Amino acid sequence: MIIENSLPILLSRLDFAWITSMHILWTPMTIGMSWLLFIMEVAWLRTGNERWYKLNRFVEKIFIINFGAGVATGVTMEMAFGILYGPFSQAVGPFFGNILGFETITAFMYEAGFIGLMVFGWGKISKGMHLFATFNVGLSSSLSAMWILVANSWMQTPNGVVLKDGLFQVTNWWNAILNDNFQWGFPHMWVATVELALFVLAGLSAFFILKNRNADLFTKLLKPVLLALIIVTPLQIFIGDSIGRVVAHTQPTSLAAMEGHYHTYLPDGKVNTGWHLIAIPNAKNDGNVFAITIPHVLSLLETHTLNGKVTGMDSFPANDRPDVWVPFYSFRVMVAIGFFLFLIAIWGNWLRLRGKLNASELRKRPWFLRAVVFSAFLPYLAIWCGWWTREVGRQPWVVNGLMRTYQGTSHMPVAMEIIWWVGYIFFELTVWAGSWYFFTRVIKKGVDDIPDSSTLFENHGDNAEAHPGGGHVTPTFASKPMLRSDR
Amino acid sequence: MDLLSIGRIAGTLTTWWWLLLSLAFFLYIATDGTDLGAGIFALFSQDEEERGAIMASMAGMWDGNESWLVVAGGVLFGAFPLVYGSAFNYLMIPLMFALWGIISRAVAFEFHIHAQKSKRFWGWAFALGSLFATFFAGVSLGATLQGFPMKSGLAAKIAATGYSTPIMHFSGGILDFLTPFSIWTGFGAVIAASLAGGLYLCARFIPGDSIHERARNWTNIASLLALGAIVVTLIWSYAIFPWAAAKWTGSDWWIWLAWIIIVLLFAYKSSMNHSVRKDFSAMMWGIGVVALLWAAMWATIFPYVVPDTWTIVAAANPADSIAVFTLFMTGFFPIMIMYNWYQIWVFRGRFSKKLAYAGH
Repeated sequence: MIIENSLPILLSRLDFAWITSMHILWTPMTIGMSWLLFIMEVAWLRTGNERWYKLNRFVEKIFIINFGAGVATGVTMEMAFGILYGPFSQAVGPFFGNILGFETITAFMYEAGFIGLMVFGWGKISKGMHLFATFNVGLSSSLSAMWILVANSWMQTPNGVVLKDGLFQVTNWWNAILNDNFQWGFPHMWVATVELALFVLAGLSAFFILKNRNADLFTKLLKPVLLALIIVTPLQIFIGDSIGRVVAHTQPTSLAAMEGHYHTYLPDGKVNTGWHLIAIPNAKNDGNVFAITIPHVLSLLETHTLNGKVTGMDSFPANDRPDVWVPFYSFRVMVAIGFFLFLIAIWGNWLRLRGKLNASELRKRPWFLRAVVFSAFLPYLAIWCGWWTREVGRQPWVVNGLMRTYQGTSHMPVAMEIIWWVGYIFFELTVWAGSWYFFTRVIKKGVDDIPDSSTLFENHGDNAEAHPGGGHVTPTFASKPMLRSDR
Repeated sequence: MDLLSIGRIAGTLTTWWWLLLSLAFFLYIATDGTDLGAGIFALFSQDEEERGAIMASMAGMWDGNESWLVVAGGVLFGAFPLVYGSAFNYLMIPLMFALWGIISRAVAFEFHIHAQKSKRFWGWAFALGSLFATFFAGVSLGATLQGFPMKSGLAAKIAATGYSTPIMHFSGGILDFLTPFSIWTGFGAVIAASLAGGLYLCARFIPGDSIHERARNWTNIASLLALGAIVVTLIWSYAIFPWAAAKWTGSDWWIWLAWIIIVLLFAYKSSMNHSVRKDFSAMMWGIGVVALLWAAMWATIFPYVVPDTWTIVAAANPADSIAVFTLFMTGFFPIMIMYNWYQIWVFRGRFSKKLAYAGH
């Protein structure tokens, strides 16, 4: 058994995997949705059409619950590198630490500074200032994603550094930041966030149309969203293929695990070109007990030739091979979801071509609407699976080829690792259940009680009535504590 | 001496980051301290309406304030990764509890508004979360002042051979952080936050409002407790930290004495402003007290990041990384302070309990 699968190390991996998986449930929606909110706000300001304002304010309620959950789980992430992987944090400090520092200073704080203005600033700051705040939330959250992907991609392809005196010292900043994996890894993640946000909007719209609540309003939202999806979903498949080939070149063990590809050559000496639809790896992790295999497909995918050689697990020592189960199946689930979402986008746009994208026609096609609602959940699973593929495929390395996971693990007893995990299972599940429950509450309330945008700047003063559902707190007198005479 | 030697420049830059680290931590304590203290105040709220009003009063600001902690963590990771990777390992248990507190109060902010039957639950999650986060942050601070044992080689508790590294990792027990002093600093943090929270609530709610009036009494009690806590902490630190005692009674003893007098002056100004209901001024003088004490603590620690464990120079990133960090990140500090200030400015003004809650 490789040392990374011994109990203390496995537990530290699970501890980190759990908090990461529960954090990545929230951030993609923030990143993607902030731009969509920005677009809706621009649409409102340019056209003056009230529906974009209403939709914006409605989606924003879901957005802020989601954001709160993201902050709640994100502060832990920022500390967990040092807590669970102290020696790793120390060794990678010169590069990875700097990048995480960049992230907190240029993105995390930036985002937190403007999100309060964006959500609670309606009617307190001018429309232009509010649009600026929304724009900054979008920019900062995308910057945040970029830095995190720089850091994580560098763990996959640690370019531009040399390991000296126990530290990964940077020799070339540009190579380290724009490392091989980052070039496609960041676009893949960023487009995933947009795809997720678009499908959440599409799913919300479909749900309201299905329930015949504000069906016309939400059809107006569904139409541009479906149009965007017909561009985004195939783009994501293309980017995914590109990152796959980067992995094939830079992390052959990860690719072999993703494909359950154990043998470079077949027993008769020919190149093993078979791609497994499904496979059951054996306990020794040196072959498949059972597999459904299609010849030539693997070579076609990875080398774009019929019989190209793809390096198998048997080219690497047993203790350098990652587990196959997780990367193999999570990779397949992710790919399947990617194609399924593409089909949904095609379906929707085919309806558009036939002129069926209006509320009454859509309501005659409940299965389409149900499929779209279902699709709103799938990007979450796809993002999970993609991240698991990435992280488990890199094992047993924490910094690919340079530092093994056990060398980066903190000094802590097994009991403590279990307590951490159990505690976070409780807290993260509470956050998850609570957030999803309150999403349903917001959806149940719907858009009808959102006041007209013309009421935004009213009701300042002592007799102010609070806006129901506006999240709007009225100061009883403006800035008196700040006035000179009051000091 | 060669003024332009790399080692000298790097030493200066790392000291600069040590100062920025203390600034980031200070901004966290100053801004989120009031929020946390108001949360502790909410433990004693009689009804959910009051907790809701307290939460609503900071709805637009709390995450900006709390993010200074993340910035401090990021600066620690970016400039002093050797401390980040060992101190956080040492502080695993207190940080874990503090983080659980932070999680509880962060989601409570969003959930309390929408909740109907579970308002009570989220109200308590907010109040208890604030208490836990404050107490264990204080424990972490006290534990850090005491230092921790380290050794090089493999850190994980497994039998593996063939790996060596010169880097010093944390090597003590997981309960090493737990001492009478660290427990005391936990209580000290709760007292300090309670005072800050009281001053904040007085400034935030209209005189005559039930929250304002209760916060007044609360602040009066907390300020006495805080004065006592400062005295106890100083004496205790003098007794157990030779590095502190040596500095305080060395040839520069008069600076420390003058500093204490300035602290007392600030505390007096705060209390005078409080008594005539100039609550915003009272809060700012109170934050001034925190700033002075915080600066004094860091001056006492110098030249360490963690006393007797990591010096600034030993803990710092290599010169090249520090230079890059300085070039690209320093300029963001005034920008961050600017937009955090703007955010607080937008949401300024006093509320009444009823209005804040209804808007909530």
